[in-house]
Amino acid sequence: MRSKIKSSQKLPSHAGDSDAFWFFTILLSIPLVLLIILPLGRMITTPEMADLVFTIKEKTVQAALARSLFTALMATMAAMVFGTPLAYILARKSFRGKNIIEGLVDLPIMIPHPVIGIAILSLFGRNTLPGKVLAFLNVEIMGSLTGIVMVLIFVGAPFYVNSVKSGFETIPVRLENASRSLGAGMTSTFFRVTFPMVRRHMMLGAVLCTARAISEFGAVVIVAYHPMTAPVLIYERFTAYGLKYSQCVAFWLILISLLLFISMRLLSRERKDR
Amino acid sequence: MISLCDVCLDLPGFSLKHIDLSIPTNDFFAILGPTGSGKSLLLEAIMGLMPITSGTISIDNKDMGTLPPEKRNMGIVYQDFALFPHMTVKQNILYGVRYHALPRAGTTKRFDQLVDQMNLSHLLGRYPKTLSGGEKQRTALARALILNPGILLLDEPLSALDPMLQDDLKQLLKSLHQEFSTTFVMVSHSFSDVMFLADNGAIIRNGTIEQTGTIKSLFEKPNSPFTAQFTGMKNIYTRPAAIPALVPLFQHNGHGPRPDHAHMALRPEAILHDNPGEKETCCAMEGVVTRLISRGFFYDVIIKMDTVKLTAQWTRHAVLVKQIQPGRRISFFIPFSSIHTF
Repeated sequence: MRSKIKSSQKLPSHAGDSDAFWFFTILLSIPLVLLIILPLGRMITTPEMADLVFTIKEKTVQAALARSLFTALMATMAAMVFGTPLAYILARKSFRGKNIIEGLVDLPIMIPHPVIGIAILSLFGRNTLPGKVLAFLNVEIMGSLTGIVMVLIFVGAPFYVNSVKSGFETIPVRLENASRSLGAGMTSTFFRVTFPMVRRHMMLGAVLCTARAISEFGAVVIVAYHPMTAPVLIYERFTAYGLKYSQCVAFWLILISLLLFISMRLLSRERKDR
Repeated sequence: MISLCDVCLDLPGFSLKHIDLSIPTNDFFAILGPTGSGKSLLLEAIMGLMPITSGTISIDNKDMGTLPPEKRNMGIVYQDFALFPHMTVKQNILYGVRYHALPRAGTTKRFDQLVDQMNLSHLLGRYPKTLSGGEKQRTALARALILNPGILLLDEPLSALDPMLQDDLKQLLKSLHQEFSTTFVMVSHSFSDVMFLADNGAIIRNGTIEQTGTIKSLFEKPNSPFTAQFTGMKNIYTRPAAIPALVPLFQHNGHGPRPDHAHMALRPEAILHDNPGEKETCCAMEGVVTRLISRGFFYDVIIKMDTVKLTAQWTRHAVLVKQIQPGRRISFFIPFSSIHTF
């Protein structure tokens, strides 16, 4: 058939270049994917089913997993309530010192996490004024869920704020102007136009924030070794009983986190016709 | 009546300077200017979206002051339509209704009328992403007009559409303006759109108003070399009476250009290749064609007379029939009435 390309026919010269490009792109990506898959795969496949069932029936494990989920979700909710207005200001307004605030928001991503724990403790210690105020209000930071949530907000909120800020930046100001020209005030415009359009970025930011919070160990272990979160329990099982016992708890933490993130991603799906 | 009195607006790197403008009620007013001249910024200042630094903007003698945009009874239609992507066409059109004390029956009637007039009835359940440019623009117009605004601001409403849709939308805008008692203020850089639609207009340059008046006067009687050039007058001369080749243009019976004016401007289409037969009203001249520039259905014919170059715009047909080509000496005619001096 005339339309068939003969096998001997040469491809255009740029096709070879394109093949080589994709070959090296894929080749260089593989090590990173393997580095993620292999240890996690080993972690999931190593424990025996009987051990896994036994572990999940333990009250300590259930409590630690529930505590991790609860504190991570509380931290995410706080990041959403206080981070959304901050992200809107940073996306929409220009003012002196904006770069400094943006830098401060990013700071928790950069500094070692035990330092965050030490910073929180030094601010709310029993001998400091904020610490005395909290003690007067009967709010405990050291060794409490409040302390854990505070630390998790510190480490997780930057991911939420940055994600939502970039979301706000993608929404043309003209849409907000058009809304105002139609009679809506700033608040109505925010809730009817801006908020629905940034919803996906908020959910993505919430996923990142929750992920960061649920996996936090360094800062939490300084502020609250007890009550134990799942990462602290994994660490304790590893140091006290060895790899095998920590792997079972890790398996359940990974599984629950995975289910949580999949459901959050599903919630943030965009309709194709919009 | 929209009145702008000594309005200034300062932004980093750009400012609107001492804008004085009066736009009559129910007028179709055009703000013309090159890209970056401040047309859209002026529109946003009128809307209240950009706070002015000084001066006053008043509507029917009521100072707008710091009145927020939502309280100015104005609508705005943007070049990129600014439809809310998460709402259907129907939801977009009805978006502003809840903020206005409009009678329910009247709103329903107006909705049906606009949807019918804009041919949107089959699109009401669709989202903006699935609409064509013309459908989006009609939705944006319906969304603004359903609220019966006193003033409708149009920010280059036709520039994102293809030529066929532009013609349809122009007709629609004209009929909407005639039908609704609304002042239309349109920003544009298209002469054909402005000539078809607008009654009056202003030309803006670097944040300053260069000239205001009827559209006819802006195009025929520019008051500065910039305005003349911007409105398409390709033949602009300084101190024309001192240029020997142009002297015949001043030898008329009193109803023509004035030799004491500093500038002379002549539209290229005003230069005639055929003798209209009236010696008293026309100046016959001769020159050598130096260049032909194709403009599709027209040619720009560059004619050299002594040291002066003239640009005439003639049809392809005329250029072919008269065998006009570079190097050829030709006669041409300029009506005295079409020569503008200032």
